[in-house]
Amino acid sequence: MQITQDLLQALPKHIVIHGDEMTRPFECDGLSMYRQKPLAVVLAENIDQIKTVIELCKIHNTPIVTRGAGTGLAGGALPLENSVVLGLSKLNKIKAVDPEARTAVVEPGVRNIAISEAVAQHNLYYAPDPSSQIACTIGGNVAENSGGVHCLKYGLTVHNVISINMLTIDGEEVTLHRDDDGIGLLALMNGSEGLLGIITEVTVKLTPKPERVQLVMAGFDDVRVCADTVSNIIKAGIIPAGLEMMDQFAIGAAEDFTHAGYPRDAKALLLCELDGDEQSVEQELTKLLALFSTASTVKVATTEQERLTLWQGRKSAFPSVGRLSPDYYCMDGTIPRHYLADVLEKITHFSAHYKLRVANVFHAGDGNLHPLILYDASVDGDIEKAEALGTEILKLCVDVGGSITGEHGVGIEKLNAMCHQFTADELDVFHQIKDAFDYSGLLNPGKAIPTLHRCAELGSMHVHNNELPHPELERF
Amino acid sequence: MNIEQIQQQVLQAKPLQIIGNNSQLNTHFANTLNMSVYSGIVGYQSEELVMTVKAGTTIAYIENILAQSDQVLPFAVENKQSTTIGGAYAIGSPELRDAVLGVKVIDGKGRILNFGGKVMKNVAGYDVSRLLVGSKGQLVAVCEISFRVLPKAYAIPSSTRASIEPSQSEAKQQIKQNLKNVFDPNGIFI
Repeated sequence: MQITQDLLQALPKHIVIHGDEMTRPFECDGLSMYRQKPLAVVLAENIDQIKTVIELCKIHNTPIVTRGAGTGLAGGALPLENSVVLGLSKLNKIKAVDPEARTAVVEPGVRNIAISEAVAQHNLYYAPDPSSQIACTIGGNVAENSGGVHCLKYGLTVHNVISINMLTIDGEEVTLHRDDDGIGLLALMNGSEGLLGIITEVTVKLTPKPERVQLVMAGFDDVRVCADTVSNIIKAGIIPAGLEMMDQFAIGAAEDFTHAGYPRDAKALLLCELDGDEQSVEQELTKLLALFSTASTVKVATTEQERLTLWQGRKSAFPSVGRLSPDYYCMDGTIPRHYLADVLEKITHFSAHYKLRVANVFHAGDGNLHPLILYDASVDGDIEKAEALGTEILKLCVDVGGSITGEHGVGIEKLNAMCHQFTADELDVFHQIKDAFDYSGLLNPGKAIPTLHRCAELGSMHVHNNELPHPELERF
Repeated sequence: MNIEQIQQQVLQAKPLQIIGNNSQLNTHFANTLNMSVYSGIVGYQSEELVMTVKAGTTIAYIENILAQSDQVLPFAVENKQSTTIGGAYAIGSPELRDAVLGVKVIDGKGRILNFGGKVMKNVAGYDVSRLLVGSKGQLVAVCEISFRVLPKAYAIPSSTRASIEPSQSEAKQQIKQNLKNVFDPNGIFI
């Protein structure tokens, strides 16, 4: 292809990857059910090389798919046919750390955890902690507005980014800052999934490490009592650093795998982590233990080792469940917290209806569900059943006032579900926003926002709240 | 006043200046869209840490309701008695933008649109509800706003500071102009 030849001519040979075999490692991201090889991959080493890629792709009308570490779970970095993948993982320098101002200036390919490691000597860390944090890049985090266990207290990526530099489709450098007067262009770029610009530098906010971190585990005989306890914790004025919930299936799977010391007979389990200064943690711990009076088991981690062991079960929950099934499909819906018990009950019904097992492990504190649907891709029709079950769960999330994705992004995976969450007019605005930044339509086209045509075909155009599905659920 | 009546005013397609209680700006346009009459709490459950209110609701009123559950706003606003949440949103601040979760707006074509939601984590679609913070009433008529609130113990020390524009570039101005055309192509909101 001419574009490949032109890239090879204009750029150092070693950064241009092409050919069927060589591009194979880039054919998918963390959502491996979709695969597509690009025409070429450029692993840029500086901004001028990115500008060259943009320029050549414009000349050849070739789409650009920007990629960090490729750990995304929604196919945001899936190559398009006839596209060039622009890999930014080589741009991995931490350019400056200011411990006084608590900021770090980093290139987009710096790994999430590498920031925390680099600033640990100043007793600081970068708070957002997606589970892929050892591999995922900060550029990818901004593109997806990534979350993690600590979002409830410390916010999403959008709350922890102070400024970015980006390149427009015309190769112009633009700086967007948190304190900019006027509209929030920086906030808009967070979660824009590579459709609006190419991020070349990120300044992040650093957080002081807390004086004390206290983990408490509680097992419950009843899912509803456990879910209600989540609301009661917040109602009591506590914002835990992490508040995670697991159902019985997930508890068993995690215990088999990690021997974390979870109560196998419990129907549901909470891991609640408090952090802050010694005095406030002690006060909150007293309140928390009172709220856990309805629990069947309570364990307060007394040593750092015990804390890490208890977390290990939760952090290994996905692979633990993965051992029990050839394939699983991870969802990412969010709901208002007070619907937790109702929605979990519904998911149990869906699971029985589709005859597919579902494990629930999730960020209960911010209502972010991660149901894992277990299926076997080698069984005819199982993939379709898993997807249909997933769609029912996401619709349910929207119907109770939540969202189809809390932290994984839309990518290619949730295009259909977007039709359920937004009206045609709202989708129209999204498409126009893309045009406002990228008139050429070459930046990651076809991702994140479904075409109106697609939604019409699907026949699932969002109906406004005057028509409420699941009328049996109490609404406020 | 209901949202359809606001929509009707927008659809008349005469240039409008959106005002709240007129506490921040001195308006001198004859044609105003007065949002202060569109007020009240739409939804609030303390355990959700989320409140949804109509744009004309004053900050003082909101803080009073929150205080009953020992909760506070995570952003600072001056002139609380007269400033409406819509006005504070239009002027904008980084802390207010952080707290915003969703909006219901009417765009320059008179379309009622919802962006964001009422949950903490939501990455479906572009983050329009935070984009429009600071839009000074010149892109859309903001009708309802959902935002995060905090338990009193987590109150953030209030700070007011002047916004800066560290980097003004032609490309950035062009993007802003393009976005004005997306939301208000006929220049209704002045």
